Amino acid sequence: MTTPPTRPTPPVPGWPGAPEHRPVATPAAATAAPVPDGVVPAIQVEHVSRWYGNVVAVNDISFALGPGVTGLLGPNGAGKSTLLHMLSGLLAPSAGIVRIAGRVAFGDPSIYADIGLVPEREAVPGYLTGREFIRLNADLQHVADPTAATDRAIATVELSDAAGRPIRTYSKGMRQRIKLAAALVHDPPILLLDEPFNGMDPRQRLHMMGLLRTMAGEGRSILFSSHILEEVERLADAVLVVYAGRLAASGDFRSIRRLMTDRPHRFTIRSSDDRTLAAALLGHPAVFGAELTDGLLAVRTSDYGAFTRVVAPTAKAAGIRILELRPTDDSLESVFSYLVRR
Amino acid sequence: MTVFGALITVTLRALLGRRRIVLMVVLAALPILVGLVIRLGGGRSDAGDILDALVIRTVLPLIALIIGTAAVGSEIEDGTVLFLLLKPIARWQIALAKVLVAAGLTAVLVVPPILITGLLVGGSGSESIALAFGYAVAAILGGSAYAVAFTVLGIVTSRALIVGLAYTLLWEGVLAGLLVGTRFLSIRQATLGIAAQLTGTDVGVDPLAPVVAIAIVAVVIVGGWSLGVIALRRFQVRAGD
Repeated sequence: MTTPPTRPTPPVPGWPGAPEHRPVATPAAATAAPVPDGVVPAIQVEHVSRWYGNVVAVNDISFALGPGVTGLLGPNGAGKSTLLHMLSGLLAPSAGIVRIAGRVAFGDPSIYADIGLVPEREAVPGYLTGREFIRLNADLQHVADPTAATDRAIATVELSDAAGRPIRTYSKGMRQRIKLAAALVHDPPILLLDEPFNGMDPRQRLHMMGLLRTMAGEGRSILFSSHILEEVERLADAVLVVYAGRLAASGDFRSIRRLMTDRPHRFTIRSSDDRTLAAALLGHPAVFGAELTDGLLAVRTSDYGAFTRVVAPTAKAAGIRILELRPTDDSLESVFSYLVRR
Repeated sequence: MTVFGALITVTLRALLGRRRIVLMVVLAALPILVGLVIRLGGGRSDAGDILDALVIRTVLPLIALIIGTAAVGSEIEDGTVLFLLLKPIARWQIALAKVLVAAGLTAVLVVPPILITGLLVGGSGSESIALAFGYAVAAILGGSAYAVAFTVLGIVTSRALIVGLAYTLLWEGVLAGLLVGTRFLSIRQATLGIAAQLTGTDVGVDPLAPVVAIAIVAVVIVGGWSLGVIALRRFQVRAGD
């Protein structure tokens, strides 16, 4: 029996920039990678908040994860690393509870038999060779056959050739891979990865994505953070979108991607005749607003794809030359901000 | 390798694989150098004073400070402590391995200079040998207390080196001489108390009784390790965002 978690009161009510929280796909207790009924979720987060003084890093987040690959998506500073630190028991929540395979994460080292964490920080002892480092991890994890586990983990991340070299000679991508090998050496059912593709070249990135997919297929629960939409799109079955410390959206990636794509977009256009072009574009159903400000034409559209397809033919038909066409709100920040506001 | 063996190995590699070992060896060599100079000048009868001033009051706390604060502190600083914390290992084991390595390494670096310097200064007579061994035993006990205290300091504060220096230079160096009551909070005074008992030398005014001195060392070692366990259990790694 556990005490039901109490819903935290935000430490600084209405702190500057606090967005209204409306999860998109599912309500407060979101389930990104589905957890079958009666099964203890690999990761369970219940109304978790974390603040540092007056700064709120994570605010009232709840979700549960089962097997599969889940992407933790959000811009830099959104609270992804804080959340991953709490999931891996390195940081105590200020409020709420994090459970790993049913056990409270903070203060229980036994969870590390079930977790492999790849931290974002390049915290690898450069004075050890790759093999020494993985072997020590295997010994510290008390695995049955540390030599075989070491070889297997190093081979999995394709570092066998460089395993005899000191880690300080490794490139950033190789360090990422040796950290992954360290996280895999005890064959954990739960993998937490903080920005794992940073510093990897495209081939290594593809290899690691394939690897994570394979491991997810074997029944592991994998959560990785990223601020790059395309990475999450290519790898994750489910997604948790975090923005300004809050869970902005969670669930199936495709439905969230659709929301992102279908959101209102804004373009600025400079042309040979802005006024005529505005009138012509307003005749298109995808365009729902146009205004002339500061010598530029600002157009609002509800359909990004349709607009980009019609803008050039429309201008051509009206005999107008487009000098500049620029999306003004295509940053991830604006995407996340939109998801939170919905 | 056992889990505890791996903990010892990783701590030793971290401490010995860096430039600080050079600094420690230089520090440890200083008393020998002074002893050599004295020997070339014909030797002296007050070897105890030399060991007291050079080793117990200077080299011992400095070496223990460098090793102790680095045993966990440097791993916290560079982030590599994550790879220990992310293991299913009881925190008391991690703390025990750290203080054992810190205390052991301090002894390994301090005992040879004491023995060599003692013999260089006092000659190879049985009295001189007994004196050197007495100081060596006191340094092992006192050095262990210093190493444990500074190891814990390295866990609880990122300014362990400054705090440790302030303790050895200001508290033990100045205050303990002025305020007699502070002797009970001084590892140096406890070490000198043990040395006085073992060697019969005069270590200054009113040395601590041997029982008190050993009790102080024991309290620092056991209490320090316990505090280290608590500090590691409560240790949190703040994320970058």
